This record gives sequence, structure tokens and C-alpha cells, in this order.
Amino acid sequence: MVTIEIDGQSVQLEDGEPILRGAEKLGIRIPTLCSHPWLEPSGACRVCSVEIIRRGKSRIVTACNYPASDGLVVKTASESALAVRRMVLEMQLARCSHVPVIQELAREYGIEKSRFGEGTETCILCGLCVRVCEELVQANALCFAERGTERFVSTPFGVEADENSCIACGACVSVCPTDHVSLEDHAQRPGEPQDFYLGPKTAINLPFQQAVPKVPWIDPVACIKLQTGGCGVCAQVCEPGAIDYEQQDEEFEVEVGQILVTTGYQPFETKAMAQYGYGRLDNVITALEFEHMLNSTGPTGGKVVCKGGETPRAIGIVHCVGSRDENQHRYCSRVCCMYALKFAHLVAERTDAEVYQFYIDMRAYGKGYEEFYSRVLQEGTTVIRGKVAEVVPALGNGSREGHMVIRCEDTLVGKFREIPVDMLVLCNALEPHQDSGNVANIFSLSRSPDGFFLERHPKLDPVGTMTDGVYIAGTCQSPKDIPDTVAQAQAAAARILALIGKGEVLIDPVRAAVNEQNCSGCRMCNALCPYQAITFNEEDSVSEVNQTLCKGCGTCVAACPAGAIAGSGFTDDQILTELEAILV
Amino acid sequence: MKLTVDKLAQLRDELQAQKAAREGEARAQVTVHMGTCGISAGAREVMNALLDALRERQITDVRVTTSGCAGLCSSEPMATVQIRDAAPVKYVDLSASKIIRVLDEHVLGGQVVKEFALAVGSERIA
Amino acid sequence: MFESTSHEDRAGQATQRLHLMVCAGTGCVSNNSMKVKAALEEELAKHDLTREIKVVATGCNGFCGVGPLLLVQPDGILYQKLKPSQIPALVEEHLVKGRPVEKHMYHPPEGEQPVPLMNDIPFFKKQVLITLRNRGLIDPENIDDYIARDGYQALAKMLTQLTPEQVVEEVKASALRGRGGGGFPTGVKWETCRNAHSEDGAKYVICNADEGDPGAFMDRSIIEGNPHSVIEGMLIGAYAIGATRGYIYVRLEYPLALKRFQLALEQARAYGLLGEKILGTDFNLDIEVHRGAGAFVCGEATALMASIEGRVGEPRAKYVHTVERGLWNRPSCLNNVETWANVPLIIREGAKWFTKLGTGDVSENPWGGSKGTKVFSLAGKVNNTGLVEVPMGITLREIIYDIGGGIQDGKKFKAVQTGGPSGGCLPERLLDVDILDLEVDFDTLVKAGSMMGSGGMVVMAEDDCMIDVARYFIEFLMGESCGKCTPCREGLRNMAKILKRICDGEGRESDIELLEELGHAMMDGSLCGLGTSAPNPVISTIRYFRDEFEAHIRDKKCPAGVCRELVEYSIDSDRCNGCTLCAQACPARAIVGEQKQVHAVEQTHCTKCGACYDACNFHAVIRN
Repeated sequence: MVTIEIDGQSVQLEDGEPILRGAEKLGIRIPTLCSHPWLEPSGACRVCSVEIIRRGKSRIVTACNYPASDGLVVKTASESALAVRRMVLEMQLARCSHVPVIQELAREYGIEKSRFGEGTETCILCGLCVRVCEELVQANALCFAERGTERFVSTPFGVEADENSCIACGACVSVCPTDHVSLEDHAQRPGEPQDFYLGPKTAINLPFQQAVPKVPWIDPVACIKLQTGGCGVCAQVCEPGAIDYEQQDEEFEVEVGQILVTTGYQPFETKAMAQYGYGRLDNVITALEFEHMLNSTGPTGGKVVCKGGETPRAIGIVHCVGSRDENQHRYCSRVCCMYALKFAHLVAERTDAEVYQFYIDMRAYGKGYEEFYSRVLQEGTTVIRGKVAEVVPALGNGSREGHMVIRCEDTLVGKFREIPVDMLVLCNALEPHQDSGNVANIFSLSRSPDGFFLERHPKLDPVGTMTDGVYIAGTCQSPKDIPDTVAQAQAAAARILALIGKGEVLIDPVRAAVNEQNCSGCRMCNALCPYQAITFNEEDSVSEVNQTLCKGCGTCVAACPAGAIAGSGFTDDQILTELEAILV
Repeated sequence: MKLTVDKLAQLRDELQAQKAAREGEARAQVTVHMGTCGISAGAREVMNALLDALRERQITDVRVTTSGCAGLCSSEPMATVQIRDAAPVKYVDLSASKIIRVLDEHVLGGQVVKEFALAVGSERIA
Repeated sequence: MFESTSHEDRAGQATQRLHLMVCAGTGCVSNNSMKVKAALEEELAKHDLTREIKVVATGCNGFCGVGPLLLVQPDGILYQKLKPSQIPALVEEHLVKGRPVEKHMYHPPEGEQPVPLMNDIPFFKKQVLITLRNRGLIDPENIDDYIARDGYQALAKMLTQLTPEQVVEEVKASALRGRGGGGFPTGVKWETCRNAHSEDGAKYVICNADEGDPGAFMDRSIIEGNPHSVIEGMLIGAYAIGATRGYIYVRLEYPLALKRFQLALEQARAYGLLGEKILGTDFNLDIEVHRGAGAFVCGEATALMASIEGRVGEPRAKYVHTVERGLWNRPSCLNNVETWANVPLIIREGAKWFTKLGTGDVSENPWGGSKGTKVFSLAGKVNNTGLVEVPMGITLREIIYDIGGGIQDGKKFKAVQTGGPSGGCLPERLLDVDILDLEVDFDTLVKAGSMMGSGGMVVMAEDDCMIDVARYFIEFLMGESCGKCTPCREGLRNMAKILKRICDGEGRESDIELLEELGHAMMDGSLCGLGTSAPNPVISTIRYFRDEFEAHIRDKKCPAGVCRELVEYSIDSDRCNGCTLCAQACPARAIVGEQKQVHAVEQTHCTKCGACYDACNFHAVIRN
């Protein structure tokens, strides 16, 4: 450690540390333009020029990179230092006369107007964007081009940034002091809602405001640190030091008596129905994405906006996308009609847009639903009974009436109609998760033909399954809305608690049991049991029947090649004895 | 050929001997007069003979130059021999064989060949 | 490849009686000296003289103003301004008949007798050749010529007799100061580099051959004429500091220098003077040549090293010196071409010999004086322009009048500009002292308000406008600034704007103060030497020629008659005899007049080109 003196005050620094750090420690302000805590000092702007006295000689140096040494004397506001600072600011002002950060700094030093003229440059050539991209992000997508007075920030060789260089992390935008650098969509992929920023903007993000627990997570695919080793800015900025890049997934084994499966649904992939233009046209979005936009914690703060930022003049809402469809799912997704009406209601609240609903039937089955439907009709939503044939971009520049045109059938008036809208919302179906088959196997669940998990009885037991102790609730069983989900979940919970409360389970006496002496350990029965009631005991090398799960179907009894399994009450002897008793 | 310290010095010495011609540090200088009269009288052959002889004997510290007519056209071919720190000696009516004698006896041997000598110390060659 | 060195050939060469040294420096080559050489060889073949006469192409002879040059050895007769068409007659007269040809010899301007011998010509007489000792006397593409003149003897002596520390002490004792412009004691630099710590032991010696000053060609001459002197110097330096590799950074615009360096390195390697086990000892060094890419700023040490590393040639703050952390963050010893070229002689002849030449007392302190010689490129309004090597301490008068032959056309001496774009202009009278009596060395020039720089020396006469000179340098530097730091980039831009305004007759009263204020901010605030020294020409011209500034600004007049916007051409009716030469010369048809009648200039059409002024033989055109 060495001791230096700044403006008469002493401060200790590491040997060789920039004297700017010393000023920061003492609370003495030295202005900078090209210095940044995340980056190595550059010494380019010269605004931080100060006077030092070393070995009796006075000199002007830049505080951001001049190394501290014992006994150094620094004067931050001496005449010669201020002369340099003022001249630098005056010259910057001549070049970038309308840049706020320059204007403010110049004003601080008494310069309102530059003697060197005026200029309209917005880049102050501080180099922060270039350095952050090079040092921190390590993408090397920005550089300085040309020399001297022709110098400007560019991409290498002036080639347009593409995925091979710029990774669109936005670090350059965040360090630029003048808004000269901005992110722009160059990929020109129309229709992708990600470009709408309906998803997270950064690799580390809070999924939504109501997340539990409410902490950010890092998307390992998008995170530059985890992908390339560069950046790491979030950990540098986090004061409590809560960011740990080393975290891995952990697996736990827990022994339980009952399982409630509530794995939910997945939204239907609307790209499969190309006629609706999702992914092909701008401003065609799914219901969930629209829901996100309407949410006040969403990307637009609850405002209804098209991709270009303007308010839509007309919005179309298409029901039954993927539902009630011979080519997709034949079932009805149950919730769409009501939320479509909700959308219409909210749009009417927030904008002057026309709303068109394209429906087959309006299913307003629940408590207060039909009343809500009438109200929304009164608010002015236009309902058209008929399927949408296709969505096409509007002719011309589409600005007169709508960005796209919906071509549909209006069965009530018996005509084909073309309706111009600015935005299209697709009520896509609720369908079972792609991997529901695997989940079903794990928990010994059956599935109904539509792919949802099968309840024990459609009327009398909507939460139980064929396997004792395993229950289902929510949309994994069938599409339903929130009240119904809550009801089902409470029912399942009650069933579970009832058993736990009882402490003991009443089971059927018809069971299978393994005669350990005869069991050869072939394990054929393990795979055959439909209720997965047979496990293999590694230690004793024999199979064991879980008496609680066994339903007494007898499959294992028949299959066992050693005859080692017997159904209780149904041993060979017992059956033969019964037969004897009947016949004799 | 990779040099060592000794080989470098040896090479230098060898090369320096040649450079004597370039930098005028010869021990002796023979000027063959080659005005028109001289050339027509055969001064060229005299010079060639002299140069051949120097080459054969591997002599490197004798400079050979030409100059214009010396004035005594009737006595051409003529040559002037100047040994360093000695007076110049003019030779007249030379031939190829005679110049060899001058070379051996005067230039190398140090003795003026009085038979062919005209005068001693009349001109200085700059 | 160089000629073989078999004994027979060497003996054969011994009997050549004449060597014709044709100057093949870039200047003469661009003036067709190679054609002269070809003509010579042709004529010699015709007259069957090739066995006895050899033609040798040498490096720059120095007397560039009168090339192409031919030196006849051993006679020592110099011929100037030769054309290929003149060669047949020359060969016939001098080489066949032995009669030197007067009309091709050097004729002094006062119209006296021609001077046949090179060493008698005043341009050469006062020069003391140390770094240029071999100029005009060797074939730079043949290492044997260098060896014949004691080349690599210093290396041999060092490897057998001196330790690295002793070499450092010797160079320190010689008080050799850097010839690139900084004037830093070379021995001290070597010592610091020797003592600097390197993580993996790697250290580098670097030769700065970027020579960017406009009009400077000292380094180019040394490289083109005597490349081995630099290589030998670097070998000695590497031994002294413990370097493992050497780099030579040659500017892009020197293709001949590049070629001669590469050839020289090849030949040195073939002789075992470079590479592994040099001269059979354990000393290893190899040198690589690296080419520049057209940036003056890469002559700055840190920018040069960045360029070698493959990064953009931009300087960095030198708060930690390059001798501690330089190329690839290892200790690096960077010296100028001329500095390296001095080193072999210092080792061979000894430091004491070197200190005999020059100024000051260095017995206690190497900063106490300037020892040895300096090569200057003498240019401007002198009669003899070219490259001169003179001992430190020679007066400006001797350089300009004795060597330079005085001011052209009998004009009046006005100023001398030294140090290239980083230097200043010195006027005739400086604080009651005649500037011509200034004894030139590092410190006297700085005290006077200029600097030695790399050795540029431009002489100015009454018809040179000092503002125009300052503007030329500022515009040059503006184009060469790397642009990283604000004071240099914007400062030069603004200075250029103001100076142009002044030259165009739109100068303002406050401009002089503004230029001074701007200049001081640049000197204090710039990141590297380019920026800190850039205001020197402006500040020194304001200091010494303020009246010219005021004439431009207040009176809207250019006293030297250079600044076009401020100059008016008119015809003196008393002197004009109507010869029409001026009207014929005028490209804008701005002169009217009948034959034998007095002519006049139409000011509205006049473009101020000055062609009429040059055309008139009767001094009837007035430039005001």
C-alpha cells in the first residue's frame, strides 16, 4: 500500500492503482467520460486530467490510469489541469453540441458555447461500447474505423452485424453515455413475437412479477457467461453477491405414500395452422402472448400496441384454433370463449379499437358467464359465426385500414367476408404436454384417447386414478378454467388428507404374494404388473408384492414360470378344493 | 559458410586487400598513358599484359590507372610508376614483355629499370 | 545472392583498376541512375574494359540535389547530374583516354572552377562520417563489402572480450543519445531494460525504421546504404540487455530499404552472424522485419509495438515505460536506426573515441552534452540539399552556408525549421543572438524553442510564409493523428481550421491567443508525443514571427507572397516591355496587353498561381 495526497488530503492505495480510485475514496469528484468501473482504463477523453507533482516536477496526467506511488501529490483543480479539462470539453462541445452529457459537463466548467463552432455528432468517441464488447462480452463486434478526425465506431470492415459477431446482448447500449448506440432488429424475421419482447429481454430475468420465489433466474442457453465465459457483469453488479454460476440441478429421492399429479397443459403450436399466419405475419399472436401484453407488469405495461408501436385500429380474435377441429383436436378447450370475451372487454376499456370475434359457438356455461357475454356484446364487440379461412397481408402498404385481412365465412348472413385488422389474436387449444406419455408411465396413469390423464370414473371419481394413492387434478386431466381447477385440486387434497388422517388404509383382501423360497429372481412379474406393484429386492434377490398397490388381477400369478406367486385365497389347492366342494 | 571470430578476421583481411583498389591505399601505382597516340602505339596490349601478370602473381596492392597523353607521343607506349613515398618514374617505348620486367624489377623489386626509364620525379600524379 | 568469395574471384577482382560507384539510393534511382549504370556497363563492354573496370551500385551518397552521381575510385572524382546519353562520351574520355571530364563535375554556384574531387567539394568537406561512413563506398547488397571495411569486428570483439554489463557501461560512457528525436541516453535505456524483469525471460530489441517526418530520409539512407551497421548494432544491443529476438519495423513506403534489410539479414544468417550460435559462441539472436502500413503515428514506441502485435497502431499511456513492459508486455529496447548504426563503432573504437566529437561534459552525467555526430536532411532554400552528417556542436552557419552553399538565388535567410513536424522555427535573431551562431546539439535546440527531432532541417528565405509552414505541419499531423484522444484529434482539427482561415484572409483578432491557449492545452493534455509536440511549429512561429501573423490577420497581407488569397499580382509599367511572356504563361488568361505595349493583370480573373512572376525575365511582375 502507498500513501498519496489529493487536494491536500491523504489516502492509501495499492502500489500502481489508478489515482482516480483514491479520489473516489475521498469523495473528490473528478469528471470522466471514457472511464467505466467494468473496464480497463483507456485514457482517451482526457477529461480526468489532473496535475501531479513527483520528484519536484509538475505534470498533467490522466487520473483514470496514472499509477499511484508513495509520496505522489495530486491537484485535481489546479489552473493547468482545469485549462486542459476546459479545452477538452470546449472541443467536445464543438463537435457534439446537442449531446446532453457534454452540454452538462461543459456548463459545469462555465462553457455555454464553443469558440470552435457547432456540430451535430452524437458519438463522443469515448470508446466504451468498443471496449465493453471486446473486454467484457468478448464478442469483438464493434471497432473504431479510420484514423484521426475521420474516426468513427463501426463493425469490423463495416459489414452489417450478424449472428456470427454481434450477439445482441445490449452491453454497448447500456454503457453508451449518449444514446448513440442502439439495438436494432436486423434479422428481419416477421411475425416472431420474441421481437415484440413478449418474452424476457435479458438472459438473467424475473420470469414474471408474481413468481414464487421472486428471484431472477439465468437462462443457460442465452447467458453469455455460461456459454462463452465472457461478460459476468451481473455478478459484478450484485452487491450481496447472490449470483452463483456454478449451481447445478440436484436430484432428491423422497419416500411418499400418495402422489398428486398436476402437470398442467401445453398451448397448441399455432404454427401448425399456417393459414392463420403465426410466425409469418407481424402482429399475429397467441392468446397467452396477448394476455402477457395486457398485464400491467408485461413488456408494454398493459398497453395494447402493434409491433411498430402504434395502437391497433381493429383486432380480430379467432376461437377454436386447434380445438373442435377434425384435423387437430376434436375436443373443445372450454376456456377460450370466455377469455376471448374478456379480451374484448379489456380492449374496449383501453383503446378505441374494433374487436371482431370469429366463433363457432359461444360457450358461456359458468356462473355469471352468460351475463358477461351479453355485456360484452353491448360494449360493441362484433361477433361473426364462422371459421377463418386464411389471413393475408393487406394490399398496398396496408396502412389505410389494417395491416392484414381476415377472410372468413359468416354463416349467419351466408357470405364470405374480408375484414381488415391490425392485430390478430389466436385462441389456441389446450393440449396435453408432449411428454405426458412418459409421465403417465412413471405414475402408472392411464390416458384417455385425447391424451389427457384418465380419471377413475368420469362422474363419480374425477380426481382418482386406477392406481391407488395417485390422484390427478387440473388441466392435465382435461381443459378447464380456474374455478374448476381449484375445485378439483381441493377435492384431491381432501382425499389425500382423509387417508393421512385415518392413518390406515382399507384394502381388498384379494392380493398376490411371492413365495420367497420358490422365487428365482427372474423379474418377469415386475414388468407385467399393470399397477407396478411388484418390486425387486436386490439384497435377497427376490421379487416383492406391494400389498397396498396390488389389485389382485392375477396377471403375475399366471406368468410366474416358477409358480412362486400365489393369489391369497386363490392358491391352486384352494381352487381345486372349491371345485371339489361344488361338484361333489 | 558459418564464420567464427577467426574466420571473420581472415575474410576481412582478404577482402580488404581487394578494396585497396577502390580506396586508393595501394603500395604502388602504375599509370599507363592512353592518349590516342598511346593507344595506336599499343598501350592497350601493355596494360593487358600488366594486368594479367598481376593476376597470375596474385598481387593486390598495386594500382593500375590510365591517363591521357603524356606529351611525348613519339615515345609511346609510356607508363609512369609511382611507389608510395618515392618519386615517380617514367618509362618509354614499352612493350608487353618490357612492362613485365618493369613490374618485376621496379615495382616488386624496388630497382628502377634504367634501360627504359626516361625521367625520374617530373610529374606528380594526383 | 551475394557474389561467391572464392579465392580466384577475389584475386581477379584485385586486378580491376577502377571501381565506378554509381549512387543507387532511392533519390538517384528515381532520377534514372540505374539507367546510367546500365549505360556504363554497356559502354565498358563495347570498349572491352569490363575486366579492369567494375561498376558498383551503392547506397545514397548524400548529395541528393545533384544526382545521379558517379564516384570514380580510387581517383575520388565525383560526377553529378549524369544522363544515360552522356555516358558514351564520358567513358571514352575518362576511362579509355584517362582524361576526366570537367563539364560533368561539381560546379560551385559562384561560377568558379569545377571541383573534381569529392572530398574537396564544400558539401562533403565539413562532414564527419560515422553512421554514414560506408556511404557511396560499398555495395549494400553484398555483405563482403561491409566486412572488408571492418564490419562485424565490433561483434567479434564483444563476444570474445566483453560481458553484457561491460557493453552497457561502454555505451553509457559514450553518452550516446537517442537519434530518433528523444535524445534519451541510450546506455541508460539499455541498463534499465537489462535490469527489467520478464516473466518468461523474453526480451526484445527493436529498430524503429518508421521515419515518418515529411522530407526526412536519414534512416532510409543508412538502411539503403549500410544495412549491416544497424544489424550489428542490434546484435550488440541484444547481447547487452539479454534479448532473445529482434524486430525491425520498416515503414511501408520504403520498399528498397525493406528489400536491402531482408537481403542483409539473409546474408548475415548464411555467414553465421545471426541466428543460433553466432560466430561459434553461445549467443543466439534472430531478427525479423515487420512492415508498417502507412501511419506516422506508428513511429511512436507504444503504437509501433501495438502494430507488431497485430493490434491497431494506437499509442497507450507511457506511465509504465516500454523498457519495463513493451512488446507483448515484455521488456523491450526500442532505438532509432541511426542510434543502432552508431553502436558498432562505439564498441570497436571505444567510448572515449566517440566522446571526442560533440559538445558538453559527460564525465559525470550522460545528459551533460551531445556526443558524436548527427545526420541531418538539409532541405529548403539552400543551394546544396541532401543528407549531411556533422559533429554535434557545429554551427548553423557552417551547415547552411559552408555545407549547404548558402541561400538560393542570393535570397535573404529568414528562419530554419528543425525537428520535423514536432519541431519549431528559429528566426535569424533570437534574444540578441544570431541564430546562425547556434552550436547545434540536443539541448541548445530545445532551449531555443525547437528540438533536434530525427534531423530534419528546412531552411527558409524571405519568400517563405511562416504561417503557411505552420499550417503545412498541422495539416500533416491532423491526417496522421490516431484520433484516440480529444486534445490531439480535435485540437489539430481546430488549429488547422484557424490557420486556414488566417491564410485565407479571414483571421480574427482573437485567433493568436486562441491558438496559444489551444496549443498549451494540447501540450499538457495529449496522450502521446504526437499530440504533445504538435503545437510546436505554431507556438514557435507565433513567438518569433508574430508580426507575420498580425500582417495576415489585420492587414490581410502575406509578406512572403505565399498565401494565395492575400497576394496580388500586378505589372510594373516602368519595367514592362511588352514581351508577352507573362500573358502566354498565364493559365487563366488574366493578362491583357499588346505586343510591345505595357501589360496589365485583370484581378478578377487572376488565380494567383504566380506563373507570370516566374515567367517574367525583367522583374516587371510585382507580387504583393
